[in-house]
Amino acid sequence: MVSDVLHCGRATVPKTEIREKLAKMYKTTPDVIFVFRFRTHFGGGKTTGFGMIYNSLDYAKKNEPKHRLARRGLNEKKKTSRKQQKEHKNRMKKVRGTAKTIVGVGKKKE
Amino acid sequence: MAAPEVLESDLPNAVALLKNLQEQVMAVTAQVQALTKKVQAKAYPTEKGLSLLEVKDQLLLMYLMDLSHLILDKASGGSLQGHPAVLRLVEIRTVLEKLRPLDQKLKYQIDKLVKTAVTGSLSESDPLRFKPHPSNMMSKLSSGGEEEDEAEEGQSGASGMKSGKGTAKKYVPPRLVPVHYDETEAEREKKRLERAKRRALSSSVIRELKEQYSDAPEEIRDARHPHVTRQSQEDQHRINYEESMMVRLSVSKREKGRRKRANVMSSQIHSLTHFSDISALTGGAPHLDEDQNSTKKRKKIAKKGQKKKGFRRRR
Repeated sequence: MVSDVLHCGRATVPKTEIREKLAKMYKTTPDVIFVFRFRTHFGGGKTTGFGMIYNSLDYAKKNEPKHRLARRGLNEKKKTSRKQQKEHKNRMKKVRGTAKTIVGVGKKKE
Repeated sequence: MAAPEVLESDLPNAVALLKNLQEQVMAVTAQVQALTKKVQAKAYPTEKGLSLLEVKDQLLLMYLMDLSHLILDKASGGSLQGHPAVLRLVEIRTVLEKLRPLDQKLKYQIDKLVKTAVTGSLSESDPLRFKPHPSNMMSKLSSGGEEEDEAEEGQSGASGMKSGKGTAKKYVPPRLVPVHYDETEAEREKKRLERAKRRALSSSVIRELKEQYSDAPEEIRDARHPHVTRQSQEDQHRINYEESMMVRLSVSKREKGRRKRANVMSSQIHSLTHFSDISALTGGAPHLDEDQNSTKKRKKIAKKGQKKKGFRRRR
């Protein structure tokens, strides 16, 4: 859904507050509500953004993109460094086919 | 006191009027009797006619009957106070008044029918003459069937092949000669004048004049910008897309610049202190608005300054 938030005299409303308000409006708990992409119009006072309400948290975990879940702490990304990832990829480029999987792992263990 | 004198002077008048009345009543009775005979002889069948007209006929007849009943009572000296016929008359009268708008709506249809009945054919400018005639169109199915029949009658295989081609003819696009398009200066001038006129009509001066002289109540509403510029239309399009797809589009530098310029132009104090240009309506030399020619000028200048050295990202 698209939601317009009117907040005269205040700064942009934080997402947690918007989730609580939406929960009251739609009579659910705020943990199945995901809001994103809020933009405040020029001059302040009005913000427009998108929101999604799921039937249960399981559905939410299946259908929401990973970064939005990560914002709520429901999804943890692996923290392999970027440099390591690029080196791994370059090692894979030298081999063809199923040997790719072996190559990368072998080199890493060294 | 004065009453018997007035009555005496009125007597000869009254006698003459009554004689007149008698003659007229006899003429009307003769006509009504002739009409009744015709109706009883079923010369006017009304089953397929407009039911509204039948209802109206019946109501009018009932009205007349009640009216004549009242006149009879009054003529024989009775009073009309609380007479049941009066109530019936009032009822029929209200129904007839309510039927009047229906009558208006059917007026066109009835007039046309009457005209057709009188002249015997549709008039020249009747839109019914221009209705589509599907029987005049060539049916693809029927032509294929006919040719197949011919083949079955025992003709050679060649004609059979021909019939196959006839059912599915190759589409040959029509050969059109390209013509040079010449928009003359006069046409261009006319177009510009039209556009300027339209813009002037929606300017604040004309709007305020309209409000002053019209009788309509003043409306205060959250109206969109009366001048729909290209930038505002694009913005609207962008907003619609973003909300329907639930995504946010990135704004390039050029787009940002365009938007800023459009905002600046609409929020200038110049628009507060100067009236907009309505010379298109009053006649006289128009002075060009900035955003009209600015895109063209900028494109020409940009092309001149752009060198082909390397790839310069202009985002």
